[in-house]
Amino acid sequence: VVNIACATHLFLQYVGTVSLMSGPSMLPTLAVNGEIVVEDRISLRLNPSSLARGDLVVVRSPINPTAIVCKRVIGLPGDVVCVDPTGQTSPSTEHVLVPKGHIWICGDNLPYSRDSRLYGPVPMALIRSRLFARVSCSPLFLLRSSEVSVF
Amino acid sequence: MSNLRTPLKILPGCIYWFPTAFVLSYYFYNLKIISGRSMQPTLNPDSSSWRDVGLFNCYAIHTKLDFNRGDIVALCSPEDSNRVLVKRIIALPEDRVKTLPPYSEPEVVVPQGHAWVEGDEPFHSDDSNRFGPVSLALIESRLVAVVWPPSRFGHLSRPSQVERDTSTPSENSAYRMAMAELERQRWRSARVTSNQTSRTG
Repeated sequence: VVNIACATHLFLQYVGTVSLMSGPSMLPTLAVNGEIVVEDRISLRLNPSSLARGDLVVVRSPINPTAIVCKRVIGLPGDVVCVDPTGQTSPSTEHVLVPKGHIWICGDNLPYSRDSRLYGPVPMALIRSRLFARVSCSPLFLLRSSEVSVF
Repeated sequence: MSNLRTPLKILPGCIYWFPTAFVLSYYFYNLKIISGRSMQPTLNPDSSSWRDVGLFNCYAIHTKLDFNRGDIVALCSPEDSNRVLVKRIIALPEDRVKTLPPYSEPEVVVPQGHAWVEGDEPFHSDDSNRFGPVSLALIESRLVAVVWPPSRFGHLSRPSQVERDTSTPSENSAYRMAMAELERQRWRSARVTSNQTSRTG
């Protein structure tokens, strides 16, 4: 039994898993109260260069080692990113060069998102997985086909 | 043919128990070969012809989140996600650290959720003096003991105990090395001012 539990755990860690995302920083893409999403861990391990700008990634928070955050990749290593075009958190002309091995992430709901505008470029070693699909099913009718919309 | 049969018989057993062994080594303890000069003379000294193999404790970091100043830890390199570095934690969040070249500022306040790591050999070390404070989430495990070569087997020395042991004659080279280690430790802690109630590293 222990072995089956370990094998399952390894599958969930390294291939893919289903998890619940909640929080206001990714509105309107992801809902506040919780969205069930499918995380894809293996494709970034096998092919790390397949990470593209605009992908949704799950990352371990740089400021809190126990927390995980889900944001969108805006800049890849070597890109020059404008930190905040609206000028609210930093001067609107400030640009940052994303160093080697780091990415720039940003939430979709800018006023309510703590992201790279606060803590700077994030090392790619902190990336956990990429979001693959969203699962939405009505709680009362579990036998009906549930919608899976792919990101 | 019977010589080939026995390994083939063990193989399914190995494959069967592989997940358990992997999880144990990922979450609890594992061994790593340490290479490079950045932690001399504590690890891989020039006097030893073998690379040190260390026993690392992942449980303390993953589960208990027990970071202390002065711990030697293995962390993922922020510049290259495939590389693992072995360095010492010098400062924890909200400490002020006096930095070494080539860092651009003479003093740094370590931000929340980050740590300042340095190798014991400041000249040959790829550490926070190059890439700044590292996020605590990058730290993977803590070194518990050196297991190979056998002459260097054992827990890392605690220099503060040697100073109190006045029975050791002062010409003894082990005593000199321990005093040198104590000097280095004092130099490291002198460069850190902590705002929290102090825990000596």
